[in-house]
Amino acid sequence: MTQRKRTKLVWAAWFLAVLHLVILLAGFFAPYSYDTQDREHPYAAPMRVHLVDAAGRWHFRPFVYGLKAREGSLTAYEEDRTQMFPVNLFVAGEPYTVLGRFHFQTHLFGVQSKAGVEAPARIYLLGADGFGRDQFSRILYGGQVSLFAGILAAALSAIGGLFLGMVAGMFGRPLDDVIMRVGEIFIALPWLYLLISVRAFLPLQMSSTATFALVVGVIGIVGWGRPARLVRNVVLSARERNFVLAARGFGAGKFYLMRRHILPATMSVILPQMALLVPLFMMAEVTLSFLGLGVGEPFPSWGNMLASAQQFHVISSYWWMLLPGLAPAPVFLACHALADSWQEKLKSAV
Amino acid sequence: MTRYLLRRLGHGLLILFGVSLLLFILQQAAPGDFLSDMKLNSQISEGTAKALRAQYGVDQPLPRRYGRWMLSVAKGELGYSFAYNVSASSLLAPRVLNTLLLSVPALAITWIIAVPLGVVASAWRGRWLDRFFSAGTSLALAMPDLLLALLAILIALRTHRYPVGGMHSVGAQDWGWFARMKDLGWHMALPVAVVVIGSVSPILRQVRSSMIAVLDSSYMRAAEGHGLRKWTLLFRHALPAAANPLISLFGLSVAMLLSVTLLVEVVMSWPGIGPLLLESILSRDLFVVIGAVMLSTLLLVIGNLIADVLLYAVDPRIRVQA
Amino acid sequence: MSSLNVVSPNPEQLLRVSGLSVEYRSASGGIIHAVRDLDLAIGEQESVGVLGASGSGKSSLAAALLRLLPANAEWVAGDIQIRGKSLSTLPRAELRRMRGAGIALISQEPALALNPVLPVGRQIHDVLQAHFTLDQTQCNEKSVAMLRAVGFDDPERILRAYPHQLSGGERQRAAIAQALVCQPAFLIADEPLSSLDAVTQSEVLRLLQRFRRELKMAMLFITHNAGVLSALADRVVVMRAGEIVASGKLDELGRNPDPYVRSLIHPEEALTASNAASTHGASTRGDVRNFPSARTYAATVSATSMNSANFAEQTVRMPQQEGSTPLLEVVGLTKEFTQRGFLSRKKFTVRALDAVDLSLRQGSAVAVIGRSGSGKSTLARVIAGFERADEGQVLLQGVPKEKSQPIVREVQMIFQDAGTALNTRFTAAESIYEPLVIAGQGTELERRQRAVQLMEEVGLDPDWYGRPAGEFSGGQKQRLALARALAADPKLLILDEAFSGLDLPLQAQMLRLLLDLQSRHGLTYLLITHDLNFISLFASEVVVMDEGRIVERTTPLRMRESSQSVTQQLVRSAERMHAPGLEAMA
Repeated sequence: MTQRKRTKLVWAAWFLAVLHLVILLAGFFAPYSYDTQDREHPYAAPMRVHLVDAAGRWHFRPFVYGLKAREGSLTAYEEDRTQMFPVNLFVAGEPYTVLGRFHFQTHLFGVQSKAGVEAPARIYLLGADGFGRDQFSRILYGGQVSLFAGILAAALSAIGGLFLGMVAGMFGRPLDDVIMRVGEIFIALPWLYLLISVRAFLPLQMSSTATFALVVGVIGIVGWGRPARLVRNVVLSARERNFVLAARGFGAGKFYLMRRHILPATMSVILPQMALLVPLFMMAEVTLSFLGLGVGEPFPSWGNMLASAQQFHVISSYWWMLLPGLAPAPVFLACHALADSWQEKLKSAV
Repeated sequence: MTRYLLRRLGHGLLILFGVSLLLFILQQAAPGDFLSDMKLNSQISEGTAKALRAQYGVDQPLPRRYGRWMLSVAKGELGYSFAYNVSASSLLAPRVLNTLLLSVPALAITWIIAVPLGVVASAWRGRWLDRFFSAGTSLALAMPDLLLALLAILIALRTHRYPVGGMHSVGAQDWGWFARMKDLGWHMALPVAVVVIGSVSPILRQVRSSMIAVLDSSYMRAAEGHGLRKWTLLFRHALPAAANPLISLFGLSVAMLLSVTLLVEVVMSWPGIGPLLLESILSRDLFVVIGAVMLSTLLLVIGNLIADVLLYAVDPRIRVQA
Repeated sequence: MSSLNVVSPNPEQLLRVSGLSVEYRSASGGIIHAVRDLDLAIGEQESVGVLGASGSGKSSLAAALLRLLPANAEWVAGDIQIRGKSLSTLPRAELRRMRGAGIALISQEPALALNPVLPVGRQIHDVLQAHFTLDQTQCNEKSVAMLRAVGFDDPERILRAYPHQLSGGERQRAAIAQALVCQPAFLIADEPLSSLDAVTQSEVLRLLQRFRRELKMAMLFITHNAGVLSALADRVVVMRAGEIVASGKLDELGRNPDPYVRSLIHPEEALTASNAASTHGASTRGDVRNFPSARTYAATVSATSMNSANFAEQTVRMPQQEGSTPLLEVVGLTKEFTQRGFLSRKKFTVRALDAVDLSLRQGSAVAVIGRSGSGKSTLARVIAGFERADEGQVLLQGVPKEKSQPIVREVQMIFQDAGTALNTRFTAAESIYEPLVIAGQGTELERRQRAVQLMEEVGLDPDWYGRPAGEFSGGQKQRLALARALAADPKLLILDEAFSGLDLPLQAQMLRLLLDLQSRHGLTYLLITHDLNFISLFASEVVVMDEGRIVERTTPLRMRESSQSVTQQLVRSAERMHAPGLEAMA
């Protein structure tokens, strides 16, 4: 493995770790909750964070201006240069919950209204949607759905694929034939059609948690074919390897062979495969939610946040409504870089 | 030749059969259907609903219902639409044509772009051209198809050069055929472009990597040692040798392309199978859902058959085994 | 140390290599010096043999001469001049014209030298059209003539054929036709024989000799088998670790005292030497351990004065216990395989074993020989318990192997390919004590001690016991596999083509080790092989198999007088590869 690949692996792994941490602690990093509305400022544009004020003075602390409606328009704003709100770190704001248990109130950053100023201070780094909800906060919270749906579904299908592939490889016909033929169908079909049709036969209206579980389940079920086929091929080739034959010659049983020789061999396939499946399944969740078949309002997912961009007036006037569609890209790139260099590493380790 | 193709055809039929069975089993597990949703409508009496259930055969056990469906497939009806009260096939048929209109040109353009670029990237492996392609395909891969489709709409809205979704201009049915064709082409441009951008990257990468495997082989080194010209080496010797995995990929690329097409159809209001499928899912119009998925599977099977024929034509080793 | 600076006096120099160095970057980032500061000159029409063990850099030299080095290799220093033109500064277009028309290459694997998806004819035409402006009919005429010249009676068939429709020998001849169709002045042949069977090898050799005469070609013939060079090379250079260590006429080199050179030219000597040492009771451990070093190896070789003839006598004098129960008895073994064609439903049955009887005495060494497909490997796998026989019995010390317990630890197998015989995820020690883990024997500490002890016994440095098994070389892996088999305390070792992947000198060392272990532990060997290298020095009895049946039982020394045609053929093919046989043919 070249040095370049090694640095790539490290960078991709670090990026993903940090990203997941941020998404997991979305409450802390987001200035607002995902459902905090600001009826005064629907479709507020992304704000500029200033260091220099209108008079040309430098400020040590970055600040934003307040918003005021542009004349003759309800949803276009301009900066109200008379109101300056400094951006503070570790501000107390709306209470939030981390990991479903721990309650906090401190946010990483935020702006606070000054006493005596009538307009409430708001900071919209990435703009606001039609209800005046902060896009930045919603993208972070939406990651909790999209990103973790991808990871959980990938884990689910990898475990399922590992199990079925092992069984198919170790026990041979006729089990092998049945598993692999069914898996082939799952691999060959257009995944979106398959996903939608499996989803079609399940209840449409449910609580967001139940829908989330359902979406993960559906994606996992649809996706087991590829890992199962990979695992089976590894098992089959490992079974014929001379070192497995030799171990059989020493009297090793099936269980020993699986544990010591075959399972470790499958790991070099299944782990990079998972790194590829995560972004794929993340996109599956985004697509389902976009089509209204996944997690629904008010809880955000990168998919259902994009849905409003289908309206022509929204997409043509408020470009920041497209930003949730950009969110998967860095995850995708990092996962691919990870899988790529990981594969290389495992290959060179053999 | 015929035996080989018959075998592949049989395999395709088996997939169709498997998918239909799978759909029926899934549907069996589904809670509720179009008719039970009807109960919520107070205007329809309990008795009417029951009669309807009996009429459509929904109350019968799974094998029976599957048999009835197969019978209607044989008649070319693909079951019945509860919502529109017509045979599912009469709903689906025009939609399939529209989907083909979008996906066939996209498929052709995708491959016409991907193959030469992939060959060139493999020949200049590690050089700036290859890196440029590699960065480009990474970006295109990372870009969600949804976003691409939405961006296309944005472009249409902003530039006013392209129609914003749809397939025909208003009143186009009264125009002459040439004007209608031009209108259609104008409507197709953006959706086809999105489908191509969304599906070209994996194919380009696959072309590159199978070309690299071939270029590293000892027979290519031997051919280079015989002093063949670079283009002869690349396109006459290496490409046919790399074709085998690529042709298998052709079948898979059809599946991938259909998925992208579905999204594009929904977002850009192209009247293909996609929007109908979505609509019938939301209204629980069971047979239309099944029919739509079956038709997409059929397209896939046809794509795979084409791949098999190509494989037979290109790879002499297959010809001998067959 | 080398006599290389004495460049051949021929003033018309075709090729001149000076100070050539080639380096490879390995996957782990290390640098391997494949060729170091190498000087070589070849005159017009001169034929030079390059002799060297695997990894000596001879193939990298060939690649460098055509500027065909793989991407991870780098031409670091030096210059190659062909008829006065420097290769390193040659423009691409001119380089391309030189390849094929000026210098031609015949490479190792005939199966891999031709493009599998193009007809042979088109591949030859493309070479012609790359160098001459010819129309279709002219191309056809030229290639038909060339194919006739390499000995095809029906050139039209070959032109239309795809490579997979030709036999190995036909493919190699077609590849030669492709390489020589432009009548180059210089031919590089990189191990052109190594993957061919003995009969085809001699055909191809004769062909190359003839072309050399007719086309007045200069030639660089790369091989690890000195036997073939006697008929073909005017001069031989010996390479080791990227350097030329000796050069001269082959018979002069035969008298070279350098142990590495000797081991290449007389590989059989190594075995003779060691056994002499062990029969004299001298410990061989010290010199076996450092086997990669040629110097210690030399010490053993030169310590002996025995010749192979009286050694063979000794081996036959194996402990013989007439009358006692044989260690292994195989009665009426029959095994059939039913195969289905890749895509067809047609089934056909292959009888791999047909009523095979065999018996092995304790402490003996029996060789089973036969061509590939003769059923010898199936026999080995049935005895080892990896396959069930359809009929017949395998008795171990008179007790039939239980049906419920197919594997008996007392029978162990050493596999052909040492590379896959070890799990590369394991360390050396883990690999060796795996049998103990499976059997649940000993504590962790005891297992380790046993592993270290076994490593010493098979001549591996015990300090390496924590190394991943994948980091050992081919010969060392085979030793690891041997140590692991010994850990199971076997009585019978089945050696399934266990040496065919190794160079001749390494083969000799392995055999020496095995003989040593046999005398120490009273092991019994069943050697499955298709070549007869060293067989007379190793086995006391030879069983010849053909089409699943045993056709003859004999001793190595009596094989030559056998009346069986299969045996005769095997012996003849083996002999043909030795120098005297070749001279007779020329």
